[in-house]
Amino acid sequence: MKTDVQRPEKLQGLILRIQRMSTEDGPGIRSTVFFKGCPLRCVWCHNPESIPDRPQMHWVGSRCIGCMSCIEACPEKALSAAGSGIDIDRLSCTDCLCCAEVCPSTAMEIYGRYYSPEELVNELVKDRVYFEQSGGGVTLSGGEPARQPDFARKVLESLKEKGIHTALDTCGQCPWERLEMLLPFTDLLLYDLKLMDEQLHRDYTGLSGSQIQRNLARVRDYREEHHNSLEIWVRTPVIPGHTDSVENIRAIGAFIHDAMAGAVSKWELCAFNNLCIHKYDGLGIDWKCRDYGLVTESDMERLVQAASESAGRDVIVHASGATMGKESGGHPPAPEKSCPPSGCETPP
Amino acid sequence: MAMAVALDDPGKRIKKPKNLSPRIQWLRDYYFQGASRAWNNEFTAWGTGMPWDVQFDEMTFYIVPETYAFLQTFRSSMQQAARTVKLDPAFWTWSLPERKAWFIREVMVNYVPCEILPGDLIAGGRFNVQTSMCWTKKEARQRDRLIYGRKGARASMKWFHDHGYGNSGATSGHLIPGYERVLNLGWKGIYEDLKRRYEFLSPKEKKGSKGAQLRAMMTAATMPRDLAYRYAGLCERLAGEEQDPARKQELVQMAENLRHVPWEPARTFWEAVQALWLTHMLVMSDENYPGPGVSFGRIDQYLLPYWEHSIAQGMDREFGKEILKCFWIHANTVYDAMVRIGNMGITSGYGQLITLSGMGRGGRDMTNDLTYAMLEVIDELSPILEPKPNIRLHKGSPDELLDKVVDMISTSQGSPFLLNFDERSMAGMMRQAKKAHVEHLINEDNVHDYAPVGCLENTMVGNDRSGTVDNNLNLLKAVELALNDGKDFFDFVDPITGKREKVRQAGPRTGDVESLKTWDDFWNAYARQTQYIIEQCVELYEKSESIRARFCPTPYLSCLVKGCAEKGMDITQGGAELNFTTLEAVTFATTVDSLLAIKHLVYDTKQCRLQELVKALKSNWQGFEKLQALAAYKTPKYGRDDDKADAMARAVMDLWCEKTWKHKTRSTGRQFRPGMLSWNYWVGDGFILPASPDGRPKGRFLSNAICPVSGADINGPTANMNSVGKALGGKAENGPGDWDGYLNCLPNGASHTISLNPSLLRDPEHKEKFKAFLKGSLEQGGTSLQINMIDAPMLRDAQKRPEEYQSLLVRITGYNAYFTAIGRELQNEVIARISHESI
Repeated sequence: MKTDVQRPEKLQGLILRIQRMSTEDGPGIRSTVFFKGCPLRCVWCHNPESIPDRPQMHWVGSRCIGCMSCIEACPEKALSAAGSGIDIDRLSCTDCLCCAEVCPSTAMEIYGRYYSPEELVNELVKDRVYFEQSGGGVTLSGGEPARQPDFARKVLESLKEKGIHTALDTCGQCPWERLEMLLPFTDLLLYDLKLMDEQLHRDYTGLSGSQIQRNLARVRDYREEHHNSLEIWVRTPVIPGHTDSVENIRAIGAFIHDAMAGAVSKWELCAFNNLCIHKYDGLGIDWKCRDYGLVTESDMERLVQAASESAGRDVIVHASGATMGKESGGHPPAPEKSCPPSGCETPP
Repeated sequence: MAMAVALDDPGKRIKKPKNLSPRIQWLRDYYFQGASRAWNNEFTAWGTGMPWDVQFDEMTFYIVPETYAFLQTFRSSMQQAARTVKLDPAFWTWSLPERKAWFIREVMVNYVPCEILPGDLIAGGRFNVQTSMCWTKKEARQRDRLIYGRKGARASMKWFHDHGYGNSGATSGHLIPGYERVLNLGWKGIYEDLKRRYEFLSPKEKKGSKGAQLRAMMTAATMPRDLAYRYAGLCERLAGEEQDPARKQELVQMAENLRHVPWEPARTFWEAVQALWLTHMLVMSDENYPGPGVSFGRIDQYLLPYWEHSIAQGMDREFGKEILKCFWIHANTVYDAMVRIGNMGITSGYGQLITLSGMGRGGRDMTNDLTYAMLEVIDELSPILEPKPNIRLHKGSPDELLDKVVDMISTSQGSPFLLNFDERSMAGMMRQAKKAHVEHLINEDNVHDYAPVGCLENTMVGNDRSGTVDNNLNLLKAVELALNDGKDFFDFVDPITGKREKVRQAGPRTGDVESLKTWDDFWNAYARQTQYIIEQCVELYEKSESIRARFCPTPYLSCLVKGCAEKGMDITQGGAELNFTTLEAVTFATTVDSLLAIKHLVYDTKQCRLQELVKALKSNWQGFEKLQALAAYKTPKYGRDDDKADAMARAVMDLWCEKTWKHKTRSTGRQFRPGMLSWNYWVGDGFILPASPDGRPKGRFLSNAICPVSGADINGPTANMNSVGKALGGKAENGPGDWDGYLNCLPNGASHTISLNPSLLRDPEHKEKFKAFLKGSLEQGGTSLQINMIDAPMLRDAQKRPEEYQSLLVRITGYNAYFTAIGRELQNEVIARISHESI
């Protein structure tokens, strides 16, 4: 029998990727879920493919077998064979994904796919044993998980029902109500504070930082109301020429010290690297930071010191990411540690 | 995840030995001089002087395809090089095992030179020998006919390998002799036991094969005593000449040790290690086979009483380690066998495996001070290959041990050892007991005494020969046959002679591609062909196994394996209490992924017809590049923790295991059991087997043991681990499982190698995470694990400047090798493997 009643759209989330056995996004071994869609436009973003709120295609040259199926399949005639591979006219491309559909070798790859909460949770529980052994769990990251609050809430809730530790990695740029929806099912909040100067924040992220700071302060209140059971870590990307001034670090430290008053237990300074160049190339975006070098070890040490002094004794400050040795001086940088930076900018 | 990093000086990353005394430093440096050493342990050949005499037993190399072209050369050159031994006047009146026992004892005790290297604390130098098979003219003729006839063992094994089935042959080594008994009873005790048994025989039995065997074993049992006395005399002479009083005292003590052990029970740690070494090296002499898989078992358990006793008596712990380090150096001299020719194939990685730690009765952890002392020895001597350490981990392994393991992994280029997972391994041994009805020999009360041999093959100890590398079968061959109605894709053309052998109906007719309308049709064809290739392998093995049983006794080794004396039967005839031979499946993941691709492309999504796929495979994908890409990239794969794909892995596993358990050898009654070792065959046979439906062209490597196809494990190490665990059986949903809830269909175990980026171990926090990964792997993963902790830039650099990376160790399928000593293709494969991040 036919019915005219439309079943409601199922709740779905747009996910960029799931990274299992992540060791950089909170305590223990974790599965990190990268949500797609982000309100900020940080010039240094390491995951440019996580910004748009829709699936996108990109071309992976190393996989392309040159069969030209994609060119034939493109309804917008946006693709053409170029000397170095497939040229994508991004203005004509509507991200209809027809090319990815026909590509036999996944050289035309889609960034992002939809999951139902059940499907996603089913994937995430597969590493339960490793979570239990390591004190790890699941981290929702992005992009910005709070941009898909209903979906994120449902996922966090199911994970908590299954006794799995949850972390929420957020940029904090959202209406408070959204965060408030997620916090009851969050054990650890990873919160990004990038810049305290209002103008610089606008210049480098596209938006004011006031809501971000306001929300974090409200998290403090929320935490007190809930018997301080929520753990809070602050994360700051250290970007040469943008966030790496001692003043900025001290200003963030002062905020942590004054506004947060003991609520933050850890502050991570994540050193920049430019290893995500290939992503920008694949998306056909000219990246401002492509030639930025690594932060020097001595600069990093200075910033860590400033952070420790300003944030107070209760906050554990630590540095992550590759730095450039003291002696190396110039280019090319020779990182001594091979650590992926933390925060929302973990390159695959 | 992890990322590639530019390194300022990659060479700095290679581990350096440390904390070595001048004695050990000298011995180690001297050893690594290799062919330029004045002293070495290369093969010496010894004969009866008869024109039909043979030293080299080619059957033991049937599992080493690299040597096929040289079998005749080896035979002739050993024959030529053989020096004649003056025979006892009655020699030719004795039975074959008695001749063998007498001859090898004569050679080792009276002919092979004895030396003690400067500072060495352990005696027992030259043991790599090729001795006469001691055949009469008639025996030699009979045996040659069985080997060289048109359907003889050699032609059959060559056909099998040429046509991509794999290889099979009755091979030496690969067991754990009853060393603990020698330490406890001395060879005297063993001799007396044999004598009692002999005297108990009826006059008729004494005249028969039982009597002959026991007499041979009695002769063999005196060999270690007489050799020890000879070394004792040498030590006494050297002590007399020695000027340095400290060294003089050492030599005097060594002489005393050798006058006592291994004939009498050991009293001190030094004596125990001396007795162990002499007893062990003579196994390799007896089999004329240096190393492969003659393993030590739980050395930190059976040496512990001696260690504790000597420490209590005042032995300095560091001196105890010094004794062990000498033992370590001795174990490495196996490689001298062909020191001037260069190592090849199996000779680039032996496998005298030692087992440390692990579970005891009632789940108790058995880690002790000697465990740690041995780990220190390994750490301080590394990089060094032998003896290959295996560490048994279980749920109750102490944190202190795990910390040490993780530390060693982080400072080597990966784990300097194999990690064995007790619960899953023991589940396999229990399954074996049930399948083969030997619960009285393997049960809940003793299964924890198991230990691996060779690379990682689990066996019991002192009463078990499981032929763990004797049969290596390419499961993928059944896919080729199923796709072509039981025939090879192509004629075989001999690469040397150019002779063409037409395709014939080798396997059963299971239907041409037109008739395989449904996935079930195809699966049934595959299953039938799987049964066929297993039967072929069993038939082939029977040839070398029966020849060995008739012509190649090893009476000395038989003294060390329970069951042989009791039955009056040589170990080569099935004398051991536990008699298995293992069918090691090769190409598992390539086969699973091929079946997944066929199901997905042909039957589920109907993107191509089976005919078209076969055409593409026969063209090695030339002209079918799109189809190849679809097969490679857009089909489900094993190793991603995808339950549907892993269910296919499980189905493939269940099928071939079930077919394998159906067989026994006719000549020796040995039960076939399943395992997954796949040693290095996945490399070479990739050039024999045609293109496979998973997108692999001919010439690309096959999958290794139970590992996913290289690069297919895109969901990271935990997903890889979970898939492997599922393929082995996972955990029991309801009911007790084979052991403690664990299921395991491979008693032999399965080689599992993963490569991890060193950044995973960069600081204490990450080391804790890695430890948790190991604990998780214990629950979720396979029977064993080997870890490569290296990165691609370092390896590429090693390819460019091999001279600077002589000691860079890599581990593949359970055998360790120096990276610069392996072929370019394999080097490239290792590089491809390290990159979990690079897909």
